[in-house]
Amino acid sequence: MALLTDEARSFIGRESPPFAACDAVEPGAVRRYAQAIMDPDPAYASDEAGAHYGGAVAPPLYPSFMFRTPFGAPDVLTERAHDPDFDGIVMGVGNGLPELPLHGLALLNGGAEVEFYAYARHGERVLQKSRYADIYERETKSGPMIFVIIETEFTTEAGQLLLRARKTIIRR
Amino acid sequence: MRERIDFEDVAVGDDVGPLGKGPFTTPHLMRWSAAMENWHKIHYDQPFATGHDKLPGLLINGSLKQQFIAQLLKDWAGRAGWVWQVKFQFRAMNVVGETLTIWAKVKGKRATPAYGLVDLDVGIRNEKGVESTPGSAVVALPYRGREPVPYPFVPPPA
Repeated sequence: MALLTDEARSFIGRESPPFAACDAVEPGAVRRYAQAIMDPDPAYASDEAGAHYGGAVAPPLYPSFMFRTPFGAPDVLTERAHDPDFDGIVMGVGNGLPELPLHGLALLNGGAEVEFYAYARHGERVLQKSRYADIYERETKSGPMIFVIIETEFTTEAGQLLLRARKTIIRR
Repeated sequence: MRERIDFEDVAVGDDVGPLGKGPFTTPHLMRWSAAMENWHKIHYDQPFATGHDKLPGLLINGSLKQQFIAQLLKDWAGRAGWVWQVKFQFRAMNVVGETLTIWAKVKGKRATPAYGLVDLDVGIRNEKGVESTPGSAVVALPYRGREPVPYPFVPPPA
């Protein structure tokens, strides 16, 4: 037991200020994303097919994947090239939350609760705001694990709520 | 992707889909890693996945699997409906080589003033029948002869 330190636990409640993704919703990025998820919905490419949503849109969960590494940011892949524990995860700008002091622990996606309100249209800028809702340790069949609950709200620049996500990250 | 299904056309016990995906190869996972610009090694670096992280193989991304649940529900709800809430757990791992079946089943119906709400169980099974992503969803559907569900979505009064 006791993977979870008081230092890590003290991050509960910390939140990020709202900030924008480095790029607006780009048609090329939407195409690559739609092809990767194998969803050929024509509303992802055509204003006509997306007319119900006010024009061509991105897939429902796309806003939560827009927070990429901005131009000029340090190159994590090169910086950590000699670190045998580096798992390859590049959080981009992540969720704006400080990284938890849990280095060397594997990271698994435990699940999520998502509420959808609108789709992001091509050309729109998207903002997010996150907070560490909870961090706790639990004994499981496979040993002790830390559960990190992160709540994030995604909106357009104009203030339209797109989606809310409550995500469970498992560290072990 | 359908245009419309009315609340009245749905019954408790109805099956939604299923939606089939796969078989999954390493290039599928590379394509998704590239599309979202994240390079977690457990999806393409076999020695890291099985050696360092002690996993059974190269994992199909949870971030990719959740997209399939959203797609199944969105295509079923149609343009006139709206997928409001989706919850799921990544309970079991899926690895390269597997074929996935994304399913949903209607477990309840609730009327609200402007539209109906449909409660569903959702999940993802592999070809051995192992459930990896159990969850639930709430989808809003229009009443017959009435306006589509409002877009952007407006939740029902509490």
